[in-house]
Formats: sequence, structure tokens, C-alpha cells
Amino acid sequence: MNGPAYASTLELMSGVILVCAVVTLWRRSLSAVVKALAVQGFALGAVALILGIRQHDAVLIVVACLVMASKGAVIPTLLGRVVTSSPTGREASPIVNVPASLVGAAALTFLAYGATQPVVALIPTTAGRFVPLGFATLLIGFFSMVVRRKAVSQIVGLLLVDNGIALVAFLATAGVPLLVELGASLDVLLAVVVLRVLAAQMWSEFGVLDLDQLRELRD
Amino acid sequence: MSNVSLVITAAAGSAAAIAGGALPAKTRVWAAVVLTWGSCIAALFGALAVLHTGQSLVLNSSQILPLTGVTMVLDPLGAVFVVVTAVVAIASTLYWLGYASHGLSTRTTSAALPLFVTSMLLVPMAGSVATFLVLWELMALASLVLVLVDHRRSEETRSAAQWYAVMTHVGAATILFALVLLSAHAGDQTFAAIRVHARHLPGVVRNTAFVLAILGFGSKAGAVPLHVWLPKAHAEAPSPVSALMSGAMVNLGIYGIVLVGDRLLGGGPVWWWLMVTAMGVVSALFGALHAATSTDLKRLLAYSTADNMGLVLIGVGASGMFAASGHRTIAAVAMVAALLLTVNHAAFKGSLFLSAGSVQVATGTRDLDQLGGLMRRMPITGAIFMVGALSIAALPPLNGFVGEWLVFQSLLHGLPTSSTAVAIAIPLGVAALALTGGLTAAAFVKAIGVGFLGRPRSVEAAAAHEVPRSMQLGAGMLAGLCVVLGLAPVIILPALGRAAASAVPGAPLATVRGSVDLHLAGLQGMLAPALLAAGLALAIGGVIALRQLARRRFTPQPALRRTEPWGSGRELQTARMQYTATSFAEPLQQVFDDVVRPDRDLDVSHLAESRYYVEKITYRTSIGDIIEQSIYRPVIRAVRWWGQRVRGLQNGSVHRYLAYGLVALVLILAAIT
Repeated sequence: MNGPAYASTLELMSGVILVCAVVTLWRRSLSAVVKALAVQGFALGAVALILGIRQHDAVLIVVACLVMASKGAVIPTLLGRVVTSSPTGREASPIVNVPASLVGAAALTFLAYGATQPVVALIPTTAGRFVPLGFATLLIGFFSMVVRRKAVSQIVGLLLVDNGIALVAFLATAGVPLLVELGASLDVLLAVVVLRVLAAQMWSEFGVLDLDQLRELRD
Repeated sequence: MSNVSLVITAAAGSAAAIAGGALPAKTRVWAAVVLTWGSCIAALFGALAVLHTGQSLVLNSSQILPLTGVTMVLDPLGAVFVVVTAVVAIASTLYWLGYASHGLSTRTTSAALPLFVTSMLLVPMAGSVATFLVLWELMALASLVLVLVDHRRSEETRSAAQWYAVMTHVGAATILFALVLLSAHAGDQTFAAIRVHARHLPGVVRNTAFVLAILGFGSKAGAVPLHVWLPKAHAEAPSPVSALMSGAMVNLGIYGIVLVGDRLLGGGPVWWWLMVTAMGVVSALFGALHAATSTDLKRLLAYSTADNMGLVLIGVGASGMFAASGHRTIAAVAMVAALLLTVNHAAFKGSLFLSAGSVQVATGTRDLDQLGGLMRRMPITGAIFMVGALSIAALPPLNGFVGEWLVFQSLLHGLPTSSTAVAIAIPLGVAALALTGGLTAAAFVKAIGVGFLGRPRSVEAAAAHEVPRSMQLGAGMLAGLCVVLGLAPVIILPALGRAAASAVPGAPLATVRGSVDLHLAGLQGMLAPALLAAGLALAIGGVIALRQLARRRFTPQPALRRTEPWGSGRELQTARMQYTATSFAEPLQQVFDDVVRPDRDLDVSHLAESRYYVEKITYRTSIGDIIEQSIYRPVIRAVRWWGQRVRGLQNGSVHRYLAYGLVALVLILAAIT
């Protein structure tokens, strides 16, 4: 893969990741959100794949395949089941409405670009230039956890945070060790499984999946 | 060679704790007690060897505590406290054998009690900051568990434990700061290194360290105004634990003050010690006053502990003041006096708490107004309590007298030698001592008169009978010590002299000389306790003989009517009409109304038919702790208020908590951009 093609594909894939993050804030339908997440997972795998091919790193290519499988297929499938099992699969009334969320996402992206300047300056490679995208994804994920009510949206937010971190790790260090990547993926997978059980419990107990119901547990 | 005794102390103590926690119910208490005795006896051997030879024992191990290792140094000063702890512990655990069936044979108790004893034995042996703090904390935690033993029975116990936990941990924190400050400046954490460097420290560091240490150790010693936990915890803990806390643990507060003030910092300016003396005077008066007005037997004893520790602090403070003005001999005498008071206090307060526990076991109550007539029903316990009470009231020929005599001697003889501030402080101290003595006597006249004499005021008191033999033995052992030490204080005075010499730099070794009669180095005073006792016995015997003679010779025998002492003559009276503890204390309450601040509540209800006829009158009075009310309550209220404000941040919404995190992250990122 020659220089300009490599740079532009990498930029495209990183951009897709950020766009998917914004899409999760934009769409209220939970099934659409989960689809965006699946696309993001594939894009993340693609980033790893491009880096692996460019650096002739077999381990990184294996990691890329694993990322695509877990974040692109397994986790979205699990989440999709939670979504389809509840009839009201919509984020009906988010705490902050959609237009305001999008403005917030834009502000967070600016902040990410501003805050990562020193990091970008430190990394000499082409890939380093896209680090702010990963950071923005992380912040948007956090933001969506704050403003969304459904339990599924929460886990989507957490996955966005995780994907953002993974993207920064791939771009900044040219791939984390396989073991670390496996560990992180397993963590996220476990969180999703726990959430699935929790959501099923909440559904049978309260008949809703709003986290506000948990407020009762405070005292 | 005798280092072995330190190892055995720790090993047997740990084994006792493990045995207490692991063995089945039948053997648990016995195994724990026997192993604890092993620990105590090993410690006694080591400590007595140190006191005999004056040579310190040293033990280093880098394996036990990671990073710092363990340094144990047993010097004569620490040895005195080890001996006191070991003796009180042997008596209390003996007592525990009989007491255990009253809810004290659980795994937790059987493990915590040996742990408590062992950590107290080891604290005075600690030779480095880390070792000391670990053992100190172990002691605090083990005793906290023991205070909580009865937590199911009453709300009071839980509240007492809470107070104790807070006070002891705040105290531990200030001690930590003080010791860490010193070791940081010395660059090494052994006490020996700190002692070498302390001389060259800047004044601010020395002052800060000492004041922090006074706060921490003072709270452990129950010095007013840091005493609030003491009456609660000592009263609510099971009696063997109360005896251990009052007879051994509070002493370690004194040890800590001497350790930091004299041994580590090598003495200091006069104002340090004026502060200590002032704390002592206030504690002595406040404790004695509350003891005199208290109607709960164990609360009375607990306040009297604060009072006695106040006396010890007066001795320690006086010693420091004399040393600061260069009079090392008198300083040593004052230190001997303080140490002797500590030893005596352990003996009589231990026996008093243990016999109060026997009373509680036999009657189910500690309220003096529910007791009475116990001398006839529990003669041995009564006699033990009597010995303890006479001793604490400082009557010859018991040990309390010798201790107070020494304190008075050192204070009075120190007077002409001192600076202006000291010359004002000392007469005040002497006056406080005298007033304290009077109040203490009143408190114990009340305890004996109302609790043990007269007629029983409740069914339970009337049905009381003597407790098991091991409980009598445990309490009696300490009462016996009171008599022995009263008649022949010379058996311990040379050892105390050696300890004082190791605490006060540059003091002569032989502070108190003599075999039958005591002479003080550099002072005029002389006392022969045994001769005094013989004289007293002769005088009392003589008076009785004369009365008998006179009665037989001169008066025709009138018709004698015999009643119980303190029974109010017993003519047409019910037991409720006797003198009670409350009524006995009433005049004192009136005099000290401003300090005691009793809560009185008079409730008169009238008959429905006419307002001129009274149906019944209810009179309630209770005495709170004015320092608790006026200093601690506002602090607690402020903390609670602040807590409520902070609680406003947490409304239970997950989103809000997440938002806090996001806002913090964004702010930090914005700040670094």
C-alpha cells in the first residue's frame, strides 16, 4: 500500500468511527444505534488491519480480525437481542434533546482536537494525526452515557469510550500487545453480557429499561 | 539470651489469639487464657531482668514487617509498663475464666482478648516508629472489638464503641503525624536515631511534634478534654476488658507522653510541661467530681480513672518542669511518683473494675440506686472492693497513700527551686490534688455505703450471691497487691527509680533509698509505711479495747438495737427510704452546679377530681458530660450539617454521577489546552 492511499484510507476509517459515534447521538431508534456501533466496530478493525498491512505485522492483523469479530459482530448481536426483546426500542426522551446533543458533540470534538495537540506533536507517524478522532469518540461516548436514559444506550456509550481508547492506542503506538487487546475486549464483552442479564432483570421487575428507576435503590 | 522472652511473648500471644479463634467452645477459653499467661510470664521475665540489671533488651527482625522491619527495644521505662500490663492481664484473664459463661466465650472475644493483651505488652517494647504504630493500632482495634462484645444488648454499647473508635483513631492520627514528623527529620525511623537528631531540630518542629503527641496520647490516657470516650467505653465494655483498659491501656497514654517528651525529644521548655500539668489538674478535678456524682458503678470507676490519670499527668508534668529548670533529682522523684501512681492505679482500679463486674454478674445491674446490702451477700467481693476503695482514697496503710505522699513530697519540695510560672502552677497543683483526694473519698464512700452496705434496694440485689472462685481470685490478686505495695513499696521503688532515671536524662539512679523507711534523694521527707501500718493497727486496736473496757466498767447495758450500717436505722422503713447514691451526691451537685450541670426534670400530675391533690410526682435527674455537650456536640453537628450538604450532590441518579465525571474530565482537558 503506497503512502497517499494508506493515509487516506486510514483517515477515512478513523472518520467513520467518529461519524458512527455522532450517529449514535443523532438516532433515537436503539436498533439504528446498535447498527452504527457495528459499523464502528468494523471500522476500528479496519484501522488495525491497515496498520498491520502497512507494518507487515502479523499479530496486528490477527488482532484486527478479532476486533472485527467481537466489536463488529458479537457485541452488536448481543445488544440487538436486548433491543428487540423490549417493544419500546426507542430513546424516547433523552435528558438532553438531539440537536443540543449534536452541538455538544461538536464542542467535545473541538475540545478533543485542542487537548490532543501535544500528543499529536509527539507522534511522528501519519497515523498520529488521527489521534484526536479517537479522543473525540471517547468524549462523545462519555457524553452519551450522561444524556441517555436507556440501559442499552449506557452500554453503547461505554463501548464508544472503549472504541475511542482502542483507536487512540492503535494510532499512537502502532498496536497494543495482543494480550492487552484480548483482555480489554474480554472486559467489554463481559460488561455487555452483564448488561444483558441486568436489562432482562429490569425488564421483568419494572417493565421499563430506564435507569431512572434505579434511583429508588439509593436509600 | 533474654531476647528470647520478647519472642516468646509475641509468639505465645499470637498462639493464644489463634487458639481462641479456632478451637471449639469447650477448650477455647482455657487454651486462650493459658497461652496468654505464657505470653505475660515471658514478658514479665524479660521486663524484670531489664529492671534488675538496667540493661535494655534489643531485638531486630527485617522479616516480619515489610519495608521497615521490626525493632524491639525494652528499656527500664518500658519494662515498668510491661510489668503492670502483665500483672493486670494475668488477673483479668483469670477472672475471665469465671466470667466467660456470661457471653464472653465467643470466638471473637477469645481471639481479641489475647490479641489486646499481647499488643499492650508489646507497645512499650517497640523501638521504632513503624513497630510502635502497628502495635498501637492493633491494640486500639482489638480493644474496640472487645468494647463491642455486648453490642446486641444495648444501644449505649454501640454508641460507646463509636465514640471510642473516633477518638482513638483521631488520636492515632495525631501520634502518627508526630512520630513521622520526627522520623522524617531524623532520616531514620528507629527511636534511637530520632533521639540523637531531636536535639538539633528547629523549635517549631519540636513543639509541633510534642503538641500532636500530647493530643494523641492524652486522649488514650483519658485526659480532659479528650476523655469523652473513656466513661462510655469503660462502662460499657465487659468487666475484664474494662479492668484491662483502665489498668493497663490508659497507662500507655502516659508512657507515650513520657516517651515522646522525655525520651525522644530529651525534655523541653517549661510551657510544654505546664500544659501537661494543666491537663492533669483539670482531669483530676473533673474526673473526681463526676465520679462523686455518678450513680452508675462502672461509670464512677471510669471517671475515677480519668481522675487518677490526671494525678499521674501532674507528676509527669512536674517532673518535666523540674528537669527544664535544671533540678534533675527532684525531677526524678516526681517521675518515680508518677510511675508509682500508675502502678498503684493499675492494682486498685483493676480490682475495683473486676469486683464491679462481679456485682454486675450477681445482680444484673450497675446502678448503685438498685444495689445495697451486698457486703453480707457477697462478703469476699465486698472485701476486695473495700480494699480497692480504701486504697484509691489514699488511706494508709494501702498503696494509694504512698503514691500520693510521693507526689506531694516532690511538688512541695520542688516549690522553692522553680521559676515564677512554675511557682504559680505548683501550689495550684497541690490544691487540686487535695480537693481531688476529698472528692475521690466521697465517691468511694458512696460506692461502698450505698452499694455494699444498707439494705438491698431491688429484688435482684437481695437475691445476689457470691461469684465463682476464679473471679474472686482474679480480683483478689490485685487487691492483695494493693496491700503488699502499701506495706512494702520498697520492693518496687528501686526499679521505678531506674525507670525514672532512664526517662529523665541525667538523674541519679537511686532516687528512693531505704528498706523499711523511705528516704528521698535530695529531699527531707521520710516515710516508713510498715511502721505506719503497725501504728495504725495498734491505735485502732487500742480504741476498740478501750471502748469495750469502758462499756463494761461504767455504763449499765442498755437495750441494744442492731441494724445494718447505712440502713438508716431501719425503723418502720422500706429499703427505698434509705440514703441513695443520688441523694448522697446531691450536696456536691449543688456546690459544683456550674460544672456538673445536672438535667433535672420535675413532673407533677394532679388528680382528675381536684387540682389541689397531687396524684404523683416524678423527679428525674441525669448528669451529662459538660465537655461532651459544649465541645464535641457542636463539632458533631457541624460535621453532620456538612454531610447533609454533600448528600445533596448525590441524588441517586446514575446520569448525574456520570455527568460529574464528564464535567471534571472536560474541565481538566480545557485547563491543560
